[in-house]
Amino acid sequence: MEIKTGVYICHCGINIANTVDVEHLVEAAKGWDTVAVAREYKFLCSDPGQEIIKKDIKELGLNRVVVASCSPRMHERTFRNACQQAGLNPYLFEMANIREHCSWVHSDKELATKKAEALLRAAVRRVFYHEPLETKESPVSPNTLIVGGGIAGIQAALEIADSEHKVYLVERDPSIGGHMTQLDKTFPTLDCSQCILTPKMALVGSHPYIELMTYSEVEEVSGFVGSFKVKIRKKARYVDEDKCTGCGLCQEKCPWKVDSEYNAGLGKRKAIYTPFPQAVPNIPVIDKEHCAYFLKGTCRACEKFCDIKAINFEQVDQIVEVGVGSIILTTGYDVFNPSAIAQYGYGKYDNVITGLEFERMSSATGPTGGEIRLKDGRQPKSVAIIHCVGSRDKNYHEYCSRVCCMYGLKFSHLIKEKIPDADVYQMYIDMRCFGEGYEEFYKRLCEEGVNFIRGKVARVTDRAISDEEKGKLIVQCEDTLLASLMRVPVDMVILCVALEARADAERVARMFNISRRADGFFLERHVKLDPVATPTDGVFIAGCCQAPKDIPDTVAQASAAAARALAVISKGKVILEASVATVNEALCQGCGRCEELCEFHAPKVSRKNGQLPVSTINEALCKGCGACAVFCPTGAISVKHFTRDQILAEVEALIEV
Amino acid sequence: MAEAEFEPQIVAFTCNWCSYAAADLAGTSRVSYPPNVRLIRVMCSGMVDPIFVLKSFEKGFDGVLIAGCHIGDCHYISGNIKAEERIGKLKSLIHTLGLGDERLRLEWISTAEGGKFAETIKELVGQLKQLGPSPLRKEVRA
Amino acid sequence: MTLEDAVKETKAYYCLECGKCSGLCPVSRYNPAYSPRVMVEDALLGLEDDLVHNRQLFSCLTCYACSPKCPADVDYPLFMQKSRALAAKDGQQGDCAHSGVLQSLMRLMASPNLKQKRLEWLSNGHRTSDQSNVLYFVGCAPYFDPIFEDTGVKSLDVARDSLKILNSLGIAPKVLPNERCCGHDLLWTGDTENFRRLAELNAAAIKEAGVKKIIFSCAECYRTFKKDYPNYVKIDCELQHISEFLSEKIEKGELSFKEIKKKLTYHDPCRLGRHLGIYEPPRRVIESIPGIELVEMKDNRAESLCCGTSAFTNCDSCSKQIRVERLLQAKATGAESIITCCPKCQIHFRCAMVNKGEVKGPDVEIEVVDLVSLVAQALGGKSSE
Repeated sequence: MEIKTGVYICHCGINIANTVDVEHLVEAAKGWDTVAVAREYKFLCSDPGQEIIKKDIKELGLNRVVVASCSPRMHERTFRNACQQAGLNPYLFEMANIREHCSWVHSDKELATKKAEALLRAAVRRVFYHEPLETKESPVSPNTLIVGGGIAGIQAALEIADSEHKVYLVERDPSIGGHMTQLDKTFPTLDCSQCILTPKMALVGSHPYIELMTYSEVEEVSGFVGSFKVKIRKKARYVDEDKCTGCGLCQEKCPWKVDSEYNAGLGKRKAIYTPFPQAVPNIPVIDKEHCAYFLKGTCRACEKFCDIKAINFEQVDQIVEVGVGSIILTTGYDVFNPSAIAQYGYGKYDNVITGLEFERMSSATGPTGGEIRLKDGRQPKSVAIIHCVGSRDKNYHEYCSRVCCMYGLKFSHLIKEKIPDADVYQMYIDMRCFGEGYEEFYKRLCEEGVNFIRGKVARVTDRAISDEEKGKLIVQCEDTLLASLMRVPVDMVILCVALEARADAERVARMFNISRRADGFFLERHVKLDPVATPTDGVFIAGCCQAPKDIPDTVAQASAAAARALAVISKGKVILEASVATVNEALCQGCGRCEELCEFHAPKVSRKNGQLPVSTINEALCKGCGACAVFCPTGAISVKHFTRDQILAEVEALIEV
Repeated sequence: MAEAEFEPQIVAFTCNWCSYAAADLAGTSRVSYPPNVRLIRVMCSGMVDPIFVLKSFEKGFDGVLIAGCHIGDCHYISGNIKAEERIGKLKSLIHTLGLGDERLRLEWISTAEGGKFAETIKELVGQLKQLGPSPLRKEVRA
Repeated sequence: MTLEDAVKETKAYYCLECGKCSGLCPVSRYNPAYSPRVMVEDALLGLEDDLVHNRQLFSCLTCYACSPKCPADVDYPLFMQKSRALAAKDGQQGDCAHSGVLQSLMRLMASPNLKQKRLEWLSNGHRTSDQSNVLYFVGCAPYFDPIFEDTGVKSLDVARDSLKILNSLGIAPKVLPNERCCGHDLLWTGDTENFRRLAELNAAAIKEAGVKKIIFSCAECYRTFKKDYPNYVKIDCELQHISEFLSEKIEKGELSFKEIKKKLTYHDPCRLGRHLGIYEPPRRVIESIPGIELVEMKDNRAESLCCGTSAFTNCDSCSKQIRVERLLQAKATGAESIITCCPKCQIHFRCAMVNKGEVKGPDVEIEVVDLVSLVAQALGGKSSE
């Protein structure tokens, strides 16, 4: 087909015409190959200006259009639309930026005209190689998958469900609630964690738009934004969810006791259990690892006492497949195991405990009913709270865990409240009280008679060197403000342990096609401007799976993630990038370099029909960045609208003038 | 070309999200710079194929600038990191060819740095004037 | 030059259309769309347009598997070379691998004003001399290594090892600071204009150097100097591939090696083997190293299979399959390494072993070593110093 290019040069009032000889450009363009018509106009972006182009397309049968005017970032869309309205594929258009890149920055008319001519010629040569492209649309499923039923997942689920869109909330434990249910009071307002959380949990449990899948895990994810397919394994509870009334008799009668995960190992639960009394759903599970029937083949006490016959030892895991448009990951965090830091004596000394253990001890629903006790039952009269255990330490985690300073301060308050005559010490490096009301809380604690010692604790020991130290734990550190070495004898030591990425974060990241930072947490799309999205469209993250954060930040991020998922739903369709990578299968050798380097997991090497595997680009995932095309050794991959021919045509044209 | 002062010709491959926009900003804020540079818009600095650079020298450009988003700000996450690695290798080729690897420059210029864009061009033009015309240029012009 | 000239010069006129060439062609085996016979037929029918616009025109490996067995003695690879020159005039250049970077470097080197810095890899340990009568022609190794870094190719080691060997024989050769690419790839992809320039620049530099003998470690450079340069320029020197040179020295008893216990196989590069008939010298060199067991692949010497790509053009899935077949042949011998005398064979073999995707190809992992690196190792000391 003969290429007929229409060239249009804009005066932009005097913005261009004062510095660039527009008439010269018109005359020059008329002499170039493929140019069927060249015109000038005062304001091409105006309606009459666009009309000129549209008329020419129709009357002269133009199949390429070039406009030399302002930046394409300004008006590319305008002119593409004009082309489309005249029946020309919008990708057969090209723009030469002779205003921002020429007339506005140069003053010598001759040189500016020469440069404008080069830019125009490059556009004309480039557009010769353009191909018509179609933007494709893909439908969006209005359902959302949320993985992780902690406060982040709960918040996001409620936001979306309240707008009457279906949510699948998948939680691996028998109940939703996450770490927040384990906490006693929350800083800085000291409201009871469970009191504010359990109403939300109940709402989730009964919400008509939330399908709650507890004791379940995602097994496989495929597809892309708008149409993900997700396989979920519902683990066998051995309790019929439809029949069980949550009366709790089975748990009462079960003779087998196990350390309670919920109570951080400080208390016991049964082999058939709900993690805590307010669990949602209030349906127990049988812990196969510890149930006598599964281990030895006898017992079945729970079954005997269940009048409604809800116990079912024959139950098996079920695989459920759901289709969703977006996915929100709220998989939370693990706490750092401080036994790795031998000098702090965790696991060696009974009264060295972690923050989470203290939370359970201090909680009214905990194993001691809220009494702060030493292992032997005595009340501690002195407590040291050690900050930054595993955080801000290159040997463990370099990052700050963000919540430890504040929960450390909170512990001081709780101890003082319950044991007013106790001596409480805070050993810290820096007090980081950055949130709303946090600094005020710190001030308040300063006035409550807590001892602040600035220094990282060197070790905790039971080797007394004086009578005063006998039977105590001695915390050794330097008070760096006084520059003096300290030995602080205490009854109890609480370690403010780091928050760390989930142990299985790598597997989860791979399953959902997202990346992780070096510290193991999930990587957001942009640290400042897109902290909720991931490089994979339609997969969002919120809460501590992205980075350690406190409850207010978690809730805010969860709501933001919900808003992003709702935005996908409300648009109802995904517009796929037209300028994407494409593979010439005859040239592809299936080496897989593209697959390895793509940040968006768009190329996939697979064995199609031929002898050798070949790469295929998933257009829904491709962003058209071109990284794969450059790395492809055989030249099999190119990016539509940014092909080598197109760019090299520009290079050649730019030097010719 | 007369023996008047040598005017280097430069082609710049600028990424759509940062450096091309920085050049736009230089325009909007009327920050002038020498007209020796001509821009080619690419979506990402990581999209710049080595052949774009070599072909530019083949055709007689005296200098090639590749400009992208600052590290960490890439619209495609790591395109600029890939570009940096690649330009390093390309520089060694240009060096071996005896062109002088100063002729190939990589610069991170954000959307907000219209001034830096103009400065970079001025600097590069000055540098290339000192370096003299590319040995490939005369031949192409002949 | 016209198509008619090409047909005449390559004796394509005599083609019997028997199809033997297609049956022998390694490309046709994996790419049924490609047939040497049909290419010649197009030319004989005067369908020049069809011929020069056929993508397959650049698929021929010019490996000479066909011509020596052609009943009509048609020089098919040469016919391809000439046809490509016609195609190049029409702007055709095939699908360049690595985006055409290599061809671009070659064209850049064709510029007379260039002052390369291509000898920076020389170290104090290497002895070279401007007074020497012997020239060592390095080839494009200084450009290959950055380009093929991800395949682990170290072409410059071949140059370093060659110097080490020559030095140990008491030869401090001359090396040219502004040596150009020999132009092999440009010639075979039809860019005769730039090929001529490269040949002239090299010829002038060699004349100025006043040497009597040139030693090559690259099979392609050697072939080009020996067979193609005479059509363009005059080179008044003895030309020798390093394998021939070493073989001579061994026969004279001037070289002795320490023991290397290894089972090896030798891959004949097309340019050294079928193009120039050099099959035995490299084998003699390998076998003279005590401890080495040389085993032959199923296809060897004149029957050797090509490494699958020529002139970095049309490197496609067919190329990969040929390479995989060759590497599987090598593995089937039970050898620990393949020895070759062509840096490009090494590059192509190593590239075929890059399998990063989830779906792996067949296991073709095997060490690839250049003959000179093996010899340098057998001379003792550390390789590639």
